[in-house]
Amino acid sequence: MSHWDEPDPVSDEVLVRRARDGEESALSALVKRHADAVYRVALAIAGDPDVAQDVSQDAFLKAFRGLEGFRGDAAFRTWLLTIAANAARGALRRQGRRRETDLDAAPPVASEVRGPDEDAVLVSEAARAREALGRLPEKQRLSVQLRVDEGLSFREIAEVIGSTEGAARVNYFHGIRKLREWME
Amino acid sequence: MTESRCETMRERLPDFVGGRLDGADAAEVREHLDACPECAAEAALVRLLHTARPEAPTDLARRIDAAARSARRRVYHPWWGVAAASVAAVALGIGVISDDRPAAEVAGEVEVPGIVVGAGETSLWVADDGLVAGAPALEGLSDEALLVLLQEMGTETTGGAA
Repeated sequence: MSHWDEPDPVSDEVLVRRARDGEESALSALVKRHADAVYRVALAIAGDPDVAQDVSQDAFLKAFRGLEGFRGDAAFRTWLLTIAANAARGALRRQGRRRETDLDAAPPVASEVRGPDEDAVLVSEAARAREALGRLPEKQRLSVQLRVDEGLSFREIAEVIGSTEGAARVNYFHGIRKLREWME
Repeated sequence: MTESRCETMRERLPDFVGGRLDGADAAEVREHLDACPECAAEAALVRLLHTARPEAPTDLARRIDAAARSARRRVYHPWWGVAAASVAAVALGIGVISDDRPAAEVAGEVEVPGIVVGAGETSLWVADDGLVAGAPALEGLSDEALLVLLQEMGTETTGGAA
């Protein structure tokens, strides 16, 4: 479940301030709120669920260690996802291999598509769409994923992938166009 | 349907599908999709992608939370590490200089694997710099062994140091 699904009156900004003041429950709230998004970004880059879990933990620990230096120029979530993306790229380099899509190790899909038989076609098509997403070049893949899964703006996506806002927009639409072609 | 209108709507599709648009904006997109098959097709793709987004394993957040709390305590209580290192250093020193009697023969001793600490020990010699040293280590040496040791230390055995 993403943080969009249930409104939370406490903003990231407030939680970050509390975490800086030593309130451990604020750390927990930030982890709970952003673990899925961090994991998805890590998975999109690393391609391996186990590596993505390690990267997710690494990213949160790095972010929490750096909270004192977090200037708040970007949203906490964007900053955290940027750390996760960098950590995933680092893990990939250390492994010395290219990201590969492993359908057998595909992660579980969101619960809303698990269901009765009449949803089987939808589930199958959705899995195919995600598999196709995994075949896009990294910047297109991340642009589509961060826009669709996390609802990031193109400006925020640009921060995460290290590009301009315009390039993030172009990457998104190129990615969507390719996916539509592949899915036809 | 103008191209710029479609472009605007397509940019908003992820927010529409993800339920992040308010009522009026959502209604506007819905109305457009009803009239534009191209944008509706794209909306269907975005919906497929969104509904199949991966979720983190159920225990990942808990594990990260535990690791974060643990790391934070290490950062905020560095004296724990210093204290542990100090205890280990003293214990190691005690082990080095303690006598070689079986542990059971020494009343009141606390046994730790590899280390024997005498609770009533009085022959320890703790130097000013905190290092543990002392005569007990030399007590059992023969005159010959003591001579060899002194020679190895570069100390003259006769005449004293200049």
